[in-house]
Amino acid sequence: MNGAISKDRGRRWVPPLAGALTVVLLAATIEIVLDGAVGHSPLIPKSPQIAGWLTGIGERLGFRVFLIALLAYAGAYGGILLLARRISSRFAIALTVALQLIVFAGPILLSTDVFSYIAYARMGIVHGINPYIHGPTSIVGDPVYHYVGKDWKTVATAYGPLYTLISYPLALLGVTGALWGMKLMALLAGAGTLVLTWRCARLREIDRRFALIAVGVNPLWVIYGLGGAHNDLIMTLLMMVAVSLTLARHEAYAGATVVGAALVKATGIVLLPFMLLGARREIPDGPAAAVQRRQPPPAMLDVPPARLRSRAASGIHWPTTPIPPSISRRTLSRRRLAPLIGAAAAALACALAAYLAFGIHGVDVIAALNRDAAFVSTDSFPTEIAHLLGKPGVFPIDHDLLKAGLVLIVLHLMWRTWRGYDWVAASGWTLLAISVTSTWLLAWYTLWSLPLAAVSRDRRLLVATLVVQALFIVHQTAPLLAPVS
Amino acid sequence: MSSQPTAPEGGLPARLPEWARPRESERRGLGSLRLAETTILILLGLLLAIATINDVAQQTHVNHRLVADLHTWRAVTGHNYRNLSVEQDLKGHTTRDVVCGNVSPGGPKERTQVCLVLVGPVLSGRRDVSGGYYLPAQTVDERRSRYACFGAAAETGLCGLSKPPAGAPSAQPLPTGR
Repeated sequence: MNGAISKDRGRRWVPPLAGALTVVLLAATIEIVLDGAVGHSPLIPKSPQIAGWLTGIGERLGFRVFLIALLAYAGAYGGILLLARRISSRFAIALTVALQLIVFAGPILLSTDVFSYIAYARMGIVHGINPYIHGPTSIVGDPVYHYVGKDWKTVATAYGPLYTLISYPLALLGVTGALWGMKLMALLAGAGTLVLTWRCARLREIDRRFALIAVGVNPLWVIYGLGGAHNDLIMTLLMMVAVSLTLARHEAYAGATVVGAALVKATGIVLLPFMLLGARREIPDGPAAAVQRRQPPPAMLDVPPARLRSRAASGIHWPTTPIPPSISRRTLSRRRLAPLIGAAAAALACALAAYLAFGIHGVDVIAALNRDAAFVSTDSFPTEIAHLLGKPGVFPIDHDLLKAGLVLIVLHLMWRTWRGYDWVAASGWTLLAISVTSTWLLAWYTLWSLPLAAVSRDRRLLVATLVVQALFIVHQTAPLLAPVS
Repeated sequence: MSSQPTAPEGGLPARLPEWARPRESERRGLGSLRLAETTILILLGLLLAIATINDVAQQTHVNHRLVADLHTWRAVTGHNYRNLSVEQDLKGHTTRDVVCGNVSPGGPKERTQVCLVLVGPVLSGRRDVSGGYYLPAQTVDERRSRYACFGAAAETGLCGLSKPPAGAPSAQPLPTGR
């Protein structure tokens, strides 16, 4: 009784606390967007004036204001995530939508990548130049050229042919039109990812509000991913479509969609081996649903319903539903092969389309990946560990060691998936391992595993993803501690 | 539940030993494996956290040093310019920095530049000037372009030109030390 009263007292704090955290989230986002709209900031890439109607309200965005806003946002995100199971679905959705729209209305934040996307599209459509052979320097006279990041002016595209073909129509809209097109594409892809995260969470017996807030309110998702209109959001959308399709038992389409994700960004292919090993177990009519119907599946009869509910709520170690005896061995075998068949068919069709559009260079994604794998960024964890060990940076031998470590991790996860581990979690772990072992780490790479982590049955994945993101944010804070004038 | 079955499949999986057969769900009693995984994850997390904090501390020290470098250059030359270039000793991993800036108002590198070699710890917001040299406008900081070396820069032979290029403004040695 006393416990119930104290619980009620505790819950009375939830609405005002959630409200205060929401105010912080909205205020930090609005501050960054309004100050960013002024331009002339090292944090805002040189860009056509797309958010001119917002100028005059804020001031030039400096490192100090940005980092304080980012840290405040991150803290409020942590708080709202802890409260996620106590707030209403309507509140969670409204907050998520508001944050996405605020960022959509503002300027491009923190990255010049979107101008590379537009440059590659204009190279192909306006100038008839193959973006898989040449870099933006081949269109020096084009209006978008001046906005491309200086490190990327000579670099041919590393993005998949599907993404390049999707971006081509936007080239016809001019630079400003294409920029809005890219922003809209990122917004819709992000929204689609969030809708599917919600749906997959429901089907996998995970709290939908928690999953939605974990992804849709995430600081790196909102400010870096959507703020920079990154095509990683399209890859995450296709990954979540694939997860959703396996839950609907459309394994062949799911396999094809994974190939689609990989043809946007090559890392998307990570899902395929785990899907092949584990997706056959996905049966949406899950145990908790059986509990609600008071018709537990036969294999669950010896587990108390209360324990079933608590396991479903925690999302940890949930034993998947056993295959009903009515499914024959032949059906099972077909179902296991379905993702492979779908993936092979999609890969064949897309390879043909890519070859016709871009020649052999459009198909050779491996060469682009190998080139990018050699890059080194100061934010990467291998670089930080090298500094910790007293080395000036990473060396070629380090690249080899990291690749070997990644292979071991993938093999371990494949073995675990073969022996019954959640394939969605295994895919997420692999994507997280890729971003952690990569010597070229950017904020939006830490988003790859996030939607999978939110719908995974292993909560450790979400914790690990958020820890990696938190460390990334902490690594940005040096200018706050010792500003350079 | 307690005897969660392996996949009801024929073919190769059925012929595999039990420990290698595909399963529909994880076997119960995997606590030790999960514990080992969690322990490794925590240790990795700690390593990453230590490396991140170490990097932030290093960057903070570097920023602190850069602020002192800029302050020293402005104090020694008497010019309160904002566009100064700072080159750190990334190869040698020492705290020796070279700060260059114009000798008269103008865009970056549009005028003759004076460069100071700064060493030692930051004391009262400034660092020691061990020496310096001049560079013609629009040139890269290389030995063949440097002239009028002074202090330690002259002793170690950092300059490739024995006299200022024609038309260059006077190149007076600046005070070394703090």
